[in-house]
Amino acid sequence: MTERRKPPIDPRLPEIATDSILESISDGVFTVDGQWRVSSFNRAAEQITGVPREDAIGRRCSDVFRASMCETECALRHTMETGATVVNKTTFIINAAGTRIPISVSTALLRDAHGAVVGGAETFRDLSLIEELRKEIRGRYQVGDIFSRSASMRRLLEVLPRIAESESTILLQGETGTGKELVARAIHGLSPRREGPFVAVNCGALPDTLLESELFGYKAGAFTGANKDKLGRFALARGGTLFLDEIGEVSPALQVRLLRVLQEKQYEPLGATRTEEANVRIVTATNRDLAQQVESGAFRQDLYYRIKVMKLELPPLRHRREDIPLLVQHFITVFNAVQNKRVTGVSPEVLGVLTAHDYPGNVRELQNMIEHAFVLLHEGQIELDHLPSDVVPALRKGTGHFELAESISAAEAQAIRETLERCGGNRLEAAKALGMHKSTLFRKVRRLGLELPQQDGRTRRSPRAKETP
Amino acid sequence: MRVALTVWDGRISPVFDVCREALIVSVEKGVVVALSREIVDPVNALLKIQRLVELEVETLICGAISEPLHRELTSRGVRVVGFVAGEIEAVMKAFVAGRLPAPELSMPGCCTRQRRFHGGRELSAGRARGQGWRRKGR
Repeated sequence: MTERRKPPIDPRLPEIATDSILESISDGVFTVDGQWRVSSFNRAAEQITGVPREDAIGRRCSDVFRASMCETECALRHTMETGATVVNKTTFIINAAGTRIPISVSTALLRDAHGAVVGGAETFRDLSLIEELRKEIRGRYQVGDIFSRSASMRRLLEVLPRIAESESTILLQGETGTGKELVARAIHGLSPRREGPFVAVNCGALPDTLLESELFGYKAGAFTGANKDKLGRFALARGGTLFLDEIGEVSPALQVRLLRVLQEKQYEPLGATRTEEANVRIVTATNRDLAQQVESGAFRQDLYYRIKVMKLELPPLRHRREDIPLLVQHFITVFNAVQNKRVTGVSPEVLGVLTAHDYPGNVRELQNMIEHAFVLLHEGQIELDHLPSDVVPALRKGTGHFELAESISAAEAQAIRETLERCGGNRLEAAKALGMHKSTLFRKVRRLGLELPQQDGRTRRSPRAKETP
Repeated sequence: MRVALTVWDGRISPVFDVCREALIVSVEKGVVVALSREIVDPVNALLKIQRLVELEVETLICGAISEPLHRELTSRGVRVVGFVAGEIEAVMKAFVAGRLPAPELSMPGCCTRQRRFHGGRELSAGRARGQGWRRKGR
């Protein structure tokens, strides 16, 4: 029997194999030398960062990688200085197209054949897909930056994409703090003009003469102090959307100028001899009753009809209390990220108080309450003590549980009343919507002393009932 | 004109979105006439932009910048020269001489998104948006 001889192994094989593995994996990998210069850069790193390997090699890693943690929390620096590895630290990078890409980063020391440290290695994973999935789940309740699961708001959000597609002027009407600017931004983000700028002007914040020059701009020499040309907001918003907030505050003289722009799509900067084209989509907003202002003569009727081609009413927060838990969670997430804190949520008592409050300042007021709590709290759960004292006045009197129970009962009563109303009086449907059995609903209605609507909602839904003359 | 350069470690800060410091430079007729340092909000980008607008900055020279912030600055009338990399002094000299954006002072792999400016006046219209610098032989 002849002995079978093994074929000779290429001494370069381990190196070739390592290169092949690095090229085939989906995680980005790069290494740096002692001067923070990139010494190797794999295919996935090219794809995720958008930087070709030949451009990356030899450049400073912070210029190539462009991560949010480069300046203050560099994972690689930590590893190089302490020898400790970093595992799955999340951050974001900005790729060559200007897109933020969420990633997780792990690091290790790079040693030569003798064990001496010659640099560091960083691997990173693109988390965009996971983020997209998270957004998709959140998206059921979200359009742009607007969060809602209430029926009235959902109806509004459902028509937004269709409204955004058109070029019509829009009037957003709603109490202060209901999110008119957010809706305007969402319309811009969904519109064909989304690549263009979104420019907002608060018409109530500026005196008339300033507002005019702010909107239309001016030419050098138009008035004393006008040393050079200034572009107006109409010019800055060219190709995009111009949001005119508090349109009801505009003076009659400026109303005439605005009307002309809306009719003719043209305007003249102050002191100009040439007419400029107004290539903008206009979204207006007010917290006033413009129809009433028209009746009293404070607002021009022709301008009113021009701006309310599409009119959207934003419901106040007290009419959509079911959104409060969602909004509370959203603000906690935002403030945790912005203020680098670890607040986990609110206690049931706090949620009861927040749900029962009437919110004259609407969503902005709720946001301010959470921000107030964040000033007093670094981590853990928001308790009643962290809320502004005027929100929980009864509790401040020190008698404790009774008032708290009242707050919770008031919130419960409000939720039951609104759900019954939304379900057209149908008790079973309302109980399902509230996540309770019908008999529990009846028990709560009795305990809270609520009056059930006379219509029970069932006859409305029965096809047989429709046929009955 | 007033120019802001985001600064870190003597260089242009790698990411505008989270930068902490800016150098505010007044340039008149190609000469630097005033210079000051400004601490900016590293977390809230809108506050940072608001501060630059308050300082009447006309041009921002920065490293990588995300598209929404780029748009916000532009809509507020601030011209952005983004994805710049290098020592502050070299970048400043290049800007005053009207040589920004320049391939040797750009982040690797990045398009030079804007045309060249000098004292607010456009000098070169050679590259359209989306076209990058290309090295010889690529």
